[in-house]
Amino acid sequence: MSTLVLTIRESIRYRGRSGHLSWIAHRISGLAILAFLVMHVWDTANANFYPALYEWSIELFKHPLFALGEIALMAAVLYHAFNGIRITIMDFKPELWKHQTRSATIVWALFFVVFIPIAILMFRELMHGCAARGAACWQIPSLSDFLN
Amino acid sequence: MTTPTGITYRKVAVPSNLERRAFLFMRLSGAALLLLAVGHMMIQHVLNSSQNLTLQFVAQQWSSWGWRVYDMLLLFFAITHGFNGLRNVLEDYVHNRNAVKWINRFLFVFAILTIIWAGIAIATF
Repeated sequence: MSTLVLTIRESIRYRGRSGHLSWIAHRISGLAILAFLVMHVWDTANANFYPALYEWSIELFKHPLFALGEIALMAAVLYHAFNGIRITIMDFKPELWKHQTRSATIVWALFFVVFIPIAILMFRELMHGCAARGAACWQIPSLSDFLN
Repeated sequence: MTTPTGITYRKVAVPSNLERRAFLFMRLSGAALLLLAVGHMMIQHVLNSSQNLTLQFVAQQWSSWGWRVYDMLLLFFAITHGFNGLRNVLEDYVHNRNAVKWINRFLFVFAILTIIWAGIAIATF
Protein backbone atom coordinates (compact mmCIF):
# COMPACT_ATOMS: atom_id res chain seq x y z
CA MET A 1 0.00 0.00 0.00
CA SER A 2 2.79 2.42 0.93
CA THR A 3 4.37 1.56 -2.44
CA LEU A 4 1.18 2.59 -4.21
CA VAL A 5 1.02 5.89 -2.31
CA LEU A 6 4.71 6.48 -3.04
CA THR A 7 4.23 5.70 -6.74
CA ILE A 8 1.27 8.06 -7.09
CA ARG A 9 2.97 10.85 -5.10
CA GLU A 10 6.23 10.64 -6.99
CA SER A 11 4.41 10.35 -10.34
CA ILE A 12 2.81 13.72 -9.68
CA ARG A 13 5.81 15.40 -8.01
CA TYR A 14 8.43 14.46 -10.59
CA ARG A 15 9.23 17.71 -12.43
CA GLY A 16 9.43 16.56 -16.04
CA ARG A 17 7.16 19.46 -17.06
CA SER A 18 5.23 19.20 -20.34
CA GLY A 19 6.69 15.83 -21.34
CA HIS A 20 5.90 14.44 -17.89
CA LEU A 21 2.30 15.64 -18.11
CA SER A 22 1.95 13.99 -21.54
CA TRP A 23 3.40 10.78 -20.11
CA ILE A 24 0.86 10.73 -17.25
CA ALA A 25 -2.02 11.56 -19.61
CA HIS A 26 -0.93 8.84 -22.06
CA ARG A 27 -0.79 6.21 -19.29
CA ILE A 28 -4.07 7.12 -17.65
CA SER A 29 -5.94 7.41 -20.96
CA GLY A 30 -4.49 4.08 -22.12
CA LEU A 31 -5.47 2.25 -18.93
CA ALA A 32 -8.95 3.81 -19.01
CA ILE A 33 -9.46 2.77 -22.65
CA LEU A 34 -8.34 -0.80 -21.89
CA ALA A 35 -10.69 -1.06 -18.90
CA PHE A 36 -13.58 0.04 -21.09
CA LEU A 37 -12.44 -2.07 -24.04
CA VAL A 38 -12.43 -5.38 -22.14
CA MET A 39 -15.95 -4.74 -20.86
CA HIS A 40 -17.13 -3.55 -24.28
CA VAL A 41 -15.73 -6.58 -26.16
CA TRP A 42 -17.21 -9.18 -23.79
CA ASP A 43 -20.49 -7.26 -23.73
CA THR A 44 -20.71 -6.97 -27.52
CA ALA A 45 -20.01 -10.71 -27.90
CA ASN A 46 -23.30 -11.16 -26.00
CA ALA A 47 -25.10 -9.78 -29.06
CA ASN A 48 -24.45 -13.23 -30.52
CA PHE A 49 -24.34 -15.51 -27.46
CA TYR A 50 -26.89 -13.90 -25.08
CA PRO A 51 -28.97 -11.39 -27.11
CA ALA A 52 -31.35 -10.63 -24.22
CA LEU A 53 -28.42 -9.72 -21.94
CA TYR A 54 -26.96 -7.54 -24.71
CA GLU A 55 -30.25 -5.70 -25.20
CA TRP A 56 -30.39 -4.99 -21.46
CA SER A 57 -26.79 -3.69 -21.44
CA ILE A 58 -27.30 -1.31 -24.39
CA GLU A 59 -30.34 0.12 -22.60
CA LEU A 60 -28.18 0.55 -19.50
CA PHE A 61 -25.51 2.36 -21.55
CA LYS A 62 -28.10 4.97 -22.58
CA HIS A 63 -28.22 6.14 -18.94
CA PRO A 64 -26.81 9.70 -18.68
CA LEU A 65 -23.92 8.56 -16.44
CA PHE A 66 -22.79 6.01 -19.02
CA ALA A 67 -23.29 8.58 -21.80
CA LEU A 68 -20.99 10.98 -19.92
CA GLY A 69 -18.50 8.12 -19.57
CA GLU A 70 -18.73 7.69 -23.33
CA ILE A 71 -17.70 11.34 -23.80
CA ALA A 72 -14.76 10.77 -21.42
CA LEU A 73 -13.84 7.69 -23.47
CA MET A 74 -13.82 9.82 -26.62
CA ALA A 75 -11.44 12.24 -24.88
CA ALA A 76 -9.14 9.37 -23.83
CA VAL A 77 -9.07 7.83 -27.33
CA LEU A 78 -8.39 11.17 -29.06
CA TYR A 79 -5.63 12.21 -26.68
CA HIS A 80 -4.01 8.77 -26.74
CA ALA A 81 -4.15 8.76 -30.57
CA PHE A 82 -2.66 12.24 -31.05
CA ASN A 83 0.01 11.76 -28.39
CA GLY A 84 0.77 8.31 -29.83
CA ILE A 85 1.50 9.91 -33.22
CA ARG A 86 3.88 12.33 -31.46
CA ILE A 87 5.67 9.51 -29.62
CA THR A 88 6.05 7.45 -32.80
CA ILE A 89 7.43 10.39 -34.81
CA MET A 90 9.86 11.28 -32.00
CA ASP A 91 11.02 7.66 -31.71
CA PHE A 92 11.93 7.43 -35.36
CA LYS A 93 13.12 11.04 -35.85
CA PRO A 94 15.35 11.85 -32.85
CA GLU A 95 16.52 15.04 -34.56
CA LEU A 96 13.06 16.45 -33.76
CA TRP A 97 13.56 16.08 -29.99
CA LYS A 98 14.64 19.72 -29.81
CA HIS A 99 10.96 20.54 -30.49
CA GLN A 100 9.59 18.19 -27.84
CA THR A 101 8.04 20.90 -25.62
CA ARG A 102 6.32 22.46 -28.60
CA SER A 103 5.19 19.05 -29.87
CA ALA A 104 3.48 18.31 -26.53
CA THR A 105 1.68 21.66 -26.73
CA ILE A 106 0.59 21.01 -30.32
CA VAL A 107 -0.90 17.67 -29.25
CA TRP A 108 -2.92 19.33 -26.47
CA ALA A 109 -4.11 22.06 -28.86
CA LEU A 110 -5.09 19.53 -31.54
CA PHE A 111 -6.85 17.43 -28.91
CA PHE A 112 -8.99 20.34 -27.65
CA VAL A 113 -9.81 21.59 -31.17
CA VAL A 114 -11.07 18.13 -32.21
CA PHE A 115 -12.57 17.00 -28.90
CA ILE A 116 -14.65 20.06 -27.93
CA PRO A 117 -16.99 20.09 -30.98
CA ILE A 118 -17.38 16.29 -30.77
CA ALA A 119 -18.14 16.50 -27.03
CA ILE A 120 -20.84 19.12 -27.77
CA LEU A 121 -22.40 16.86 -30.44
CA MET A 122 -22.34 13.84 -28.12
CA PHE A 123 -23.80 15.86 -25.25
CA ARG A 124 -26.65 17.02 -27.50
CA GLU A 125 -27.36 13.38 -28.45
CA LEU A 126 -27.41 12.54 -24.73
CA MET A 127 -29.97 15.31 -24.07
CA HIS A 128 -32.12 14.26 -27.07
CA GLY A 129 -32.05 10.62 -25.98
CA CYS A 130 -32.94 11.56 -22.42
CA ALA A 131 -35.80 13.83 -23.53
CA ALA A 132 -37.19 11.07 -25.80
CA ARG A 133 -37.26 8.57 -22.93
CA GLY A 134 -38.77 11.03 -20.43
CA ALA A 135 -38.92 9.77 -16.86
CA ALA A 136 -37.19 6.51 -17.84
CA CYS A 137 -34.03 8.50 -18.61
CA TRP A 138 -32.56 8.22 -15.11
CA GLN A 139 -33.88 4.72 -14.37
CA ILE A 140 -31.57 1.71 -14.41
CA PRO A 141 -33.26 -0.83 -16.73
CA SER A 142 -34.27 -4.01 -14.94
CA LEU A 143 -32.53 -7.14 -16.21
CA SER A 144 -35.61 -9.30 -15.57
CA ASP A 145 -37.59 -7.19 -18.09
CA PHE A 146 -35.23 -8.39 -20.82
CA LEU A 147 -34.83 -12.03 -19.86
CA ASN A 148 -38.52 -12.93 -20.37
CA MET B 1 18.10 25.48 -14.48
CA THR B 2 20.29 25.29 -17.53
CA THR B 3 18.80 25.12 -20.98
CA PRO B 4 20.19 22.46 -23.27
CA THR B 5 21.96 24.04 -26.22
CA GLY B 6 21.58 21.11 -28.55
CA ILE B 7 20.74 17.45 -28.65
CA THR B 8 23.31 14.91 -29.66
CA TYR B 9 22.32 11.50 -30.85
CA ARG B 10 24.06 8.52 -32.31
CA LYS B 11 22.99 5.35 -34.03
CA VAL B 12 23.20 2.17 -31.98
CA ALA B 13 22.58 -1.40 -33.08
CA VAL B 14 19.49 -2.60 -31.23
CA PRO B 15 19.26 -6.39 -30.84
CA SER B 16 16.09 -7.82 -32.34
CA ASN B 17 14.77 -9.45 -29.18
CA LEU B 18 11.18 -9.79 -27.96
CA GLU B 19 11.13 -6.33 -26.34
CA ARG B 20 12.40 -4.71 -29.54
CA ARG B 21 9.65 -6.40 -31.55
CA ALA B 22 7.07 -5.43 -28.91
CA PHE B 23 8.28 -1.82 -29.21
CA LEU B 24 7.86 -1.88 -33.00
CA PHE B 25 4.51 -3.66 -32.68
CA MET B 26 3.17 -0.87 -30.42
CA ARG B 27 4.03 1.74 -33.11
CA LEU B 28 2.61 -0.31 -35.99
CA SER B 29 -0.57 -1.38 -34.19
CA GLY B 30 -0.91 2.22 -32.99
CA ALA B 31 -0.85 3.39 -36.61
CA ALA B 32 -3.49 0.79 -37.50
CA LEU B 33 -5.63 1.82 -34.53
CA LEU B 34 -5.38 5.44 -35.63
CA LEU B 35 -7.69 4.45 -38.49
CA LEU B 36 -9.56 1.54 -36.88
CA ALA B 37 -10.21 2.81 -33.33
CA VAL B 38 -10.60 6.53 -34.08
CA GLY B 39 -12.72 5.57 -37.13
CA HIS B 40 -14.86 3.29 -34.95
CA MET B 41 -15.40 6.11 -32.42
CA MET B 42 -16.40 8.54 -35.18
CA ILE B 43 -18.73 6.08 -36.96
CA GLN B 44 -20.41 4.49 -33.92
CA HIS B 45 -20.37 7.38 -31.41
CA VAL B 46 -20.61 10.55 -33.51
CA LEU B 47 -22.26 9.70 -36.87
CA ASN B 48 -24.39 7.08 -35.09
CA SER B 49 -25.15 7.29 -31.39
CA SER B 50 -25.31 4.85 -28.50
CA GLN B 51 -28.60 6.57 -27.67
CA ASN B 52 -30.20 4.89 -30.74
CA LEU B 53 -28.29 1.60 -30.63
CA THR B 54 -30.36 -1.56 -31.08
CA LEU B 55 -29.64 -5.25 -31.59
CA GLN B 56 -31.05 -4.85 -35.12
CA PHE B 57 -28.38 -2.24 -35.89
CA VAL B 58 -25.63 -4.65 -34.79
CA ALA B 59 -27.25 -7.49 -36.78
CA GLN B 60 -27.40 -5.29 -39.87
CA GLN B 61 -23.72 -4.29 -39.60
CA TRP B 62 -22.50 -7.84 -38.97
CA SER B 63 -24.48 -9.17 -41.93
CA SER B 64 -21.78 -7.59 -44.12
CA TRP B 65 -18.31 -9.08 -44.35
CA GLY B 66 -16.79 -5.59 -44.66
CA TRP B 67 -17.90 -4.67 -41.11
CA ARG B 68 -16.96 -8.11 -39.81
CA VAL B 69 -13.41 -7.77 -41.12
CA TYR B 70 -13.20 -4.19 -39.79
CA ASP B 71 -14.37 -5.24 -36.32
CA MET B 72 -12.10 -8.30 -36.24
CA LEU B 73 -9.05 -6.21 -37.15
CA LEU B 74 -10.07 -3.63 -34.54
CA LEU B 75 -10.56 -6.40 -31.97
CA PHE B 76 -7.14 -7.92 -32.66
CA PHE B 77 -5.13 -4.71 -32.68
CA ALA B 78 -6.98 -3.04 -29.79
CA ILE B 79 -6.66 -6.03 -27.45
CA THR B 80 -3.01 -6.78 -28.27
CA HIS B 81 -1.97 -3.09 -28.13
CA GLY B 82 -3.94 -2.57 -24.90
CA PHE B 83 -2.65 -5.63 -23.07
CA ASN B 84 0.94 -5.02 -24.12
CA GLY B 85 0.52 -1.46 -22.83
CA LEU B 86 -0.82 -2.77 -19.52
CA ARG B 87 2.17 -5.13 -19.31
CA ASN B 88 4.53 -2.17 -19.85
CA VAL B 89 2.82 -0.15 -17.12
CA LEU B 90 2.76 -3.04 -14.63
CA GLU B 91 6.43 -3.85 -15.22
CA ASP B 92 7.25 -0.29 -14.14
CA TYR B 93 5.67 -0.85 -10.74
CA VAL B 94 5.90 -4.57 -9.98
CA HIS B 95 9.49 -5.42 -9.13
CA ASN B 96 9.10 -9.06 -8.12
CA ARG B 97 10.27 -10.97 -11.22
CA ASN B 98 8.27 -14.04 -10.38
CA ALA B 99 5.11 -11.98 -9.96
CA VAL B 100 5.76 -10.24 -13.30
CA LYS B 101 6.13 -13.64 -14.98
CA TRP B 102 2.77 -14.86 -13.66
CA ILE B 103 1.01 -11.57 -14.37
CA ASN B 104 2.28 -11.70 -17.97
CA ARG B 105 1.10 -15.29 -18.39
CA PHE B 106 -2.31 -14.40 -17.04
CA LEU B 107 -2.62 -11.30 -19.27
CA PHE B 108 -1.51 -13.29 -22.32
CA VAL B 109 -4.07 -16.07 -21.78
CA PHE B 110 -6.86 -13.61 -20.96
CA ALA B 111 -6.11 -11.51 -24.08
CA ILE B 112 -6.09 -14.60 -26.33
CA LEU B 113 -9.38 -15.86 -24.81
CA THR B 114 -10.96 -12.43 -25.33
CA ILE B 115 -9.91 -12.35 -29.00
CA ILE B 116 -11.15 -15.93 -29.62
CA TRP B 117 -14.47 -15.44 -27.81
CA ALA B 118 -15.30 -12.13 -29.53
CA GLY B 119 -13.87 -13.33 -32.86
CA ILE B 120 -16.26 -16.30 -32.81
CA ALA B 121 -19.10 -13.95 -31.86
CA ILE B 122 -18.41 -11.79 -34.93
CA ALA B 123 -17.73 -14.68 -37.34
CA THR B 124 -20.82 -16.74 -36.45
CA PHE B 125 -23.34 -13.93 -36.02
